[in-house]
Amino acid sequence: MPERRTPSRLGGQDRNGDDTPPDVRFIRVPSIAERKLGREYVAPMRLDPRVLDQMQETIRGLETKYAEALKSQVSMLQILVEPACKGDTEARGRLYSLAHDMRGLAGTFGHPMVGRFADSLCGYLENCESEGWKDGTVIVFHVDAIRDAIENPKTDAAVTMETLDALERLIEASRRDRRKRG
Amino acid sequence: MSHSVFEKLTVLVVDDSAYMRHLLMTLLQALGVPRVFLAVDGEEAWELLNTCRPDIVLTDAAMVPGDGFMFAKRLRSLRGHALGLVPIIMVSGHTDLASVERARDIGVTEFLSKPISARSLYERLIQVLDRPRQFVETPTYRGPDRRRRNAPFAGEDRRGGVALI
Repeated sequence: MPERRTPSRLGGQDRNGDDTPPDVRFIRVPSIAERKLGREYVAPMRLDPRVLDQMQETIRGLETKYAEALKSQVSMLQILVEPACKGDTEARGRLYSLAHDMRGLAGTFGHPMVGRFADSLCGYLENCESEGWKDGTVIVFHVDAIRDAIENPKTDAAVTMETLDALERLIEASRRDRRKRG
Repeated sequence: MSHSVFEKLTVLVVDDSAYMRHLLMTLLQALGVPRVFLAVDGEEAWELLNTCRPDIVLTDAAMVPGDGFMFAKRLRSLRGHALGLVPIIMVSGHTDLASVERARDIGVTEFLSKPISARSLYERLIQVLDRPRQFVETPTYRGPDRRRRNAPFAGEDRRGGVALI
């Protein structure tokens, strides 16, 4: 059965339409491990559970520091919402940047729901025109959800998932509203 | 005494988030990597490239002024230069299909979605260190072979007819 996959957007562009073979070269890349270790190299390289433990311990060591930073980032988000919604472009940039940081890091440091809410907020802001910022409801609710998730990390997962669904519905309603208004 | 390959690596980390740079650097150090260079965007990474000569590049996607896609593209454009073959792991929160496909078509070796875990990072590193995919050069693409599976393919298979260099 032929392989099913998403075609590359460059797919086919390297053909020139006639029978001349395209200018294609394949280069065998040596294993970095083999090159660096020489005679000490033992194939294949495997994940070492002791090393993995060490890495996870490293993350745990950074968690407390990150939790403190997260609190001050949420306070900053709350401060930035109003000026951002009033059109302050610098505030908008900083608000997005903070949410983007949370999206990327919170999950790693044991705050998966903060990361999910931040991801939802970033998704909204990435597709948001100026009008969307003016109606700050969606942004305010997201910031509140992030703050709640930090203050009450042991909230029932079902409740947080329900909040996430509610935020998605709010985003959809806001989009419909904007479309209606043209 | 046997050494770990990580003890012999130089890694370039490119991310505009100071926390992310710190996290990646700390995790690499926990693996034993002795030389970790940090850059805040693609422009700074480009400047650093010749100084640090990395074995692996870990780069974020969305950065200003030089984003990770642009940086990866410039890196892959270095034909006839060993640096042009360096494995690039893109570490990004933009996990939509369009971003992943864009990364693939620019020649990014592996895509690691944020939030990262120790295991996901470790596994991607092993992948690029020990299981390299052959490199393909065409007029429009330069990077690791995008066909990961050795499955039947509807179309002309050019791999059989081209000598490996």
